[in-house]
Amino acid sequence: MKAETFETDFWKDAELRKTWDDIIPGEPRKTLPYTLTQEAIHKLCRVLGDTHPLYFDEAYAKQSPYKGLIAPPAIHILLMFSCTPADDWMRSPGTINAGQSWSYNVPARPGDTIRLEARALDKFIKNDRLFVVHDNVFFNQHNQVICSGRGWTIRAF
Amino acid sequence: MTNAFDTLKTGQQIDGTPFSPTRESIREFCEASLDFNPLHLDDDYMKGSFGKTSFGGIIMHGMNNFGVITKMLTDWLYPLGGVQRRLETRWKAPVKPGDTITPTATITAVQTTRKGHWATLDVQVSNQRGETIAVGEATVEFPAAL
Repeated sequence: MKAETFETDFWKDAELRKTWDDIIPGEPRKTLPYTLTQEAIHKLCRVLGDTHPLYFDEAYAKQSPYKGLIAPPAIHILLMFSCTPADDWMRSPGTINAGQSWSYNVPARPGDTIRLEARALDKFIKNDRLFVVHDNVFFNQHNQVICSGRGWTIRAF
Repeated sequence: MTNAFDTLKTGQQIDGTPFSPTRESIREFCEASLDFNPLHLDDDYMKGSFGKTSFGGIIMHGMNNFGVITKMLTDWLYPLGGVQRRLETRWKAPVKPGDTITPTATITAVQTTRKGHWATLDVQVSNQRGETIAVGEATVEFPAAL
């Protein structure tokens, strides 16, 4: 499977991104479908030091209750950026991750075509910081929810 | 219900694997996560401040921490037939290259609902100085079948 290429320059399209002032809670964010590859799963797992055979050993995974290779629950770390375009406000340089809450339903698997539905839920000012609360749901090609999450980020002024 | 569920006890502690980020591992996490925010790449950018936050140098991604906590939970759960259903985290302090962080979890409740068998856990990540880096809560399920 051919790996997709992604923008690595967070300054590119920075002027197109919505600032805290522009973000409208409730408004859907633009998202992109993404085909999850085994290579991408392994790259993330290796940097986390997580080489569980459910992610790496097909024979082991087939014999397991999962009946095949899966991705770890935290694969949404990668999906968040692979399913959003370069002008998405999540990429604004200086964005600080304040906290996350994720729920998991079915595991993502190599070869899945992932779809994201996302929006800001809330924005507020606290302790002289600009906060946004965002809501993200990832689906597979069978329209099953893989995981859903809520994040709190501090935005640059 | 798995037999493992019957063995769970409130107060039981789960220990995770220590993780020691380096500048190289942070760069590799950028590549693997596609999160190239200059917070994690650019020391010059990090000389600035963001509102009231200043770190003085690059920091590890918060979501790297999330992955380290997840590994602790799944390493514990998979052999028991359990499933990670929820993880909530709050980042309390930045992690920098050269730090060593270690996740732990403690079972706070064990519940049986109409259709499931569940446990909740408090999660904590500490650094080599004993400072709390992250706190959170996890919910895990022990289903009859996957």
